[in-house]
Amino acid sequence: MAVDRDEMLRVLRAFEQAGLEYVLIGAAAMGFHGLVRATEDLDLFIRATPENVERLKRAFWAVYDADPSVDEISSVDLLGDYPAVRYYPPSGDLFFDVMTRLGEVASFETVAAETKEVEGIRVRVATPLALYALKKDTVRPLDRQDAEALRRRFDLTEE
Amino acid sequence: MAVQRFRTIEEMAAAPVVVPPGEGFDRFARHCARYWAIAPRVYPRGVFRFRTLAEAQAARERVRDEGNAGLHSRRPGPP
Repeated sequence: MAVDRDEMLRVLRAFEQAGLEYVLIGAAAMGFHGLVRATEDLDLFIRATPENVERLKRAFWAVYDADPSVDEISSVDLLGDYPAVRYYPPSGDLFFDVMTRLGEVASFETVAAETKEVEGIRVRVATPLALYALKKDTVRPLDRQDAEALRRRFDLTEE
Repeated sequence: MAVQRFRTIEEMAAAPVVVPPGEGFDRFARHCARYWAIAPRVYPRGVFRFRTLAEAQAARERVRDEGNAGLHSRRPGPP
């Protein structure tokens, strides 16, 4: 089964309905800004509070038929020593990288975001400049290519 | 830009395509669907946790390179 547009929309709707405080980063966020490349996953920062982690779990449970593995997503981990969690749902090709912080570099609170809308769903998306800042100095060549594409498309500078 | 040049196929595959405002999400979803139809993968299932982005990236590469080998969902186990 290929990555499914409807599945992405169900997840984004569930995030909104759960009141999840999140911001999309990565290729999905770039897509919302009109820079399209394929990806395996949705990457997001969430606000690092126990209540917000529970909202995330409620959203995943709603979309993935109360998948019991969602219970393994823990605020103790996400607010503690494991700020990155990857969730592979029980079926399909889409998976999720959920982060509360990225080293000392970034977190939900530090990533500038804007609201996009798709099929009536409000989606919080990192701004082009925020994406550029996240991607320009990583070790992954893919991120550096993304940063360069963002820089060109939005006339971004190093400042 | 009508024509783009690339030194490698990897560079070409990773290059974002610029689309008109408002079409981004749908084009992104279609692009992902095509990509995965051409190159299906087998994933482990469940929840995995990482201390750093480097750890997460390494796990992603292991899955990419070796299928499910080397990754196990974090389940309650013996202390």
